[in-house]
Amino acid sequence: MSEERLWKFKKPEWMNSIMARSAGVYAAGALFSLAFFVMVDAAVFSHSPLNGSDPPIHITFIDWLPLIFSSLGMLIINSIEKTRLSADSFSYSGSGVAWKARVVLFLGFASLAGGMAGGVTVLVLKYVVPGTVWPTLYMGVANVASNGLVMLSSVVLWVSQNMEDEYAYNLAL
Amino acid sequence: MTAGLKTIISLSFVLAIGFLLVILSCALFKQYLPLLVVATYVLAPLPNWICGRCANPDDFGDSGGANAIVDFGRFCTGFLVIMGIALPAVLAHSEIIRIPAMIMSIIGGVLIYGTVISFGLFFQEEQEF
Repeated sequence: MSEERLWKFKKPEWMNSIMARSAGVYAAGALFSLAFFVMVDAAVFSHSPLNGSDPPIHITFIDWLPLIFSSLGMLIINSIEKTRLSADSFSYSGSGVAWKARVVLFLGFASLAGGMAGGVTVLVLKYVVPGTVWPTLYMGVANVASNGLVMLSSVVLWVSQNMEDEYAYNLAL
Repeated sequence: MTAGLKTIISLSFVLAIGFLLVILSCALFKQYLPLLVVATYVLAPLPNWICGRCANPDDFGDSGGANAIVDFGRFCTGFLVIMGIALPAVLAHSEIIRIPAMIMSIIGGVLIYGTVISFGLFFQEEQEF
């Protein structure tokens, strides 16, 4: 196992513990919840009396679309069985499962990145170009922040699921 | 046995304080939306529990299906726990509830959830053996 290692730095010991793994999954859920509620906060704020934009700007379905795409991408990425990705083993590469997994994974990452790009697009086109000021601009910033949080959440979930594989491997020996 | 009794009494005391804070945060300002925090925190351990039942601990061989279900339950629990804090913050940011009501309902929710979790921790060990 140690000779297959690619990087110079070792993975720290605590990362292989089962506690760190479940804490990572909880943290991923927490980050996703934070992302969702940042967006909900922007939507509630836009329909409250505090929203004093003069030509009234509200959160519509367009603002939710990037978050939907990000969440879809996160769902795809983390539904894939990670062990199918390595085509080194003949049993999986024979039927083309690794290839399929890579295509689906690519779609997931594209959806995630597309969500992030869509968030920035909404921020620029809907809020920065018309020259809105802070309390209204917050709705666009919240969009980008929530997409970034979804990305962070899926990274945390991915890392902790890989931890789990390592743990199972150690247990199997 | 007495330790168990003390635990039960103190936990129920903390639970009552939590409910008091949440209900006070609603009734003082005549705005009953923070009660949703209680529902959130009661629901929070449920996904973990259900998915723990669904997963079969025996088949360790393929780490695919069973662990994925457990992980999904953990993910949902993490989602609901942060939801209990985020909900009063969202309400307070739009001035639907006031800041003191937000603080009271967050503290009350954390106390309720802490009670539920520590109740599970204290009495799960006796079940297993």
